[in-house]
Amino acid sequence: MFNKYTPPFTIEKEDITISVEKENGNLVYKRVLNGDDTVEKILLHNGCEFLINPIEPVNIPKALSSFLLIEFQRPVMIAPYEKQTVHLKFPVEIGIFVSRKRGEHELIDILTLAPSKFTLYGDPNRGVICKYWESEVHSSYPHPDILREGDLELEIINDTNNWMELTRAVFNAYGMKIYYGSDRISMRAQMKIINKSLAETEFQTYALSPGFHRSVELYTSRKILLNSTKSIMEFGL
Amino acid sequence: MNVTGVMDSVLTFQDMILKIIGVVLILFIAIAIGKGISIYMQRSLKDKIDSEHMNIMQKVAYYGVIVLAIVVFIFPILNIEPSGLLVAGGVVGIVIGFASQSIVGNFISGLFLMTERPVKIGDQVNINNHAGYVEDINMISTIIRTYDGLYMRIPNETVFTTDITNYVANVVRRFDYVVGIRYEDDADQAIEIIQEILDKEPFALKDPPAGIFVDNLGDNSVNILVRIWAPITEWYELKTRLLWVIKKTLGENGIEIPFPQRTVWFASELQTERIPQIGSNENEINETF
Repeated sequence: MFNKYTPPFTIEKEDITISVEKENGNLVYKRVLNGDDTVEKILLHNGCEFLINPIEPVNIPKALSSFLLIEFQRPVMIAPYEKQTVHLKFPVEIGIFVSRKRGEHELIDILTLAPSKFTLYGDPNRGVICKYWESEVHSSYPHPDILREGDLELEIINDTNNWMELTRAVFNAYGMKIYYGSDRISMRAQMKIINKSLAETEFQTYALSPGFHRSVELYTSRKILLNSTKSIMEFGL
Repeated sequence: MNVTGVMDSVLTFQDMILKIIGVVLILFIAIAIGKGISIYMQRSLKDKIDSEHMNIMQKVAYYGVIVLAIVVFIFPILNIEPSGLLVAGGVVGIVIGFASQSIVGNFISGLFLMTERPVKIGDQVNINNHAGYVEDINMISTIIRTYDGLYMRIPNETVFTTDITNYVANVVRRFDYVVGIRYEDDADQAIEIIQEILDKEPFALKDPPAGIFVDNLGDNSVNILVRIWAPITEWYELKTRLLWVIKKTLGENGIEIPFPQRTVWFASELQTERIPQIGSNENEINETF
């Protein structure tokens, strides 16, 4: 599913059908999701390539916020000055890009098989809207269904001299680095606990290997200069 | 008048014309540069700065260039001393202040509005019972586009001294439904169904959680109160869509919204079996009554 394609082509995976066909010298992109959600576009260019890869999961049904909140199904306790790595699942959103063979990618469609939900992190006055996801906390790679979920490898660092209880983690899509292979979608992040109600999360890179690519991302434009790539969790852990 | 006098007058007139042309030219160039900077700022900073700050920055840049051109270039041409202008300006200011209190009041209120910022451009507000979108905040007045598309100019003094409701100041807001079901329906099941609908609805926030409970036992129905929190940008669309979804889903599960009804008890038994069908023999009806 996640790969480069040269038109014409058709992909059918579970409830997703994507096809690009030539029509009167142009290309017609058509996508059907769950049998009824259809998108059809005419591309006035013949020599395009298509790239399908996972993107930051904060765009569907609407890009209301750049934050993703993952709530732990069971709270996690971490000892003072401890450093532990856990695995979470995150929702997968699939981006379909068109490129003109110069490395320029333009997003033409986004879809997901994962259910969408939003939540508020903080209070109504100063809080932020976040895309919501619930995940069990795994100690090793959880082998998710990659059309729906990816793996988030989270290193938790407790910088305090107290035991800390964590119920959630908030991440900023600015700075998300998503990697994908034929059977895996992964991100790697770090969460540093500063005190009882304050933590900081940040994404990290993987070492690239053959068959494990870095996604073309949406939240990496020049906006990054004004938007921090870190997420400060100041409304509780 | 001798020739020298005439020549002096002509030269003075020419000098004056040249000065006027120079001033107009400088003003024209300053306006063009101000506009250029303003457009450049809009293009280059559009994605980085919100429209409210962008608007203020553009105005500051535009008027700043014009003021700079006046002080640096036009004043020397017209032989105006800026220090003398300040003294004169103080006296004129007092005179204007007394003469045009409302304008000055609006201007001062405008400054406070820009500092306190209870409303921003693009916000949905209710000012003095006028609801709509804030289109612009000027030095003297605030422009509102009402929900029915009317242009409304409200003096800043009114804006500053009246109650302001900003509908989008917070990131989320709550809306309520009252869903009445029949007394014979299971309220617990209805609450469960409504909760399932909200769980599947992306914009019905997970936190703060929705409140769904039997609020009161009405004359004709058991009234279930549904309180839903939604992102401020989505609440209206959600509110207009979700109630019918709830009604339909409850109906599909055999839970109906009841019509108003009243049970009437008669002191003596009604002899309804003696009333003939309407449209049958007219003579029989007359005999009966």
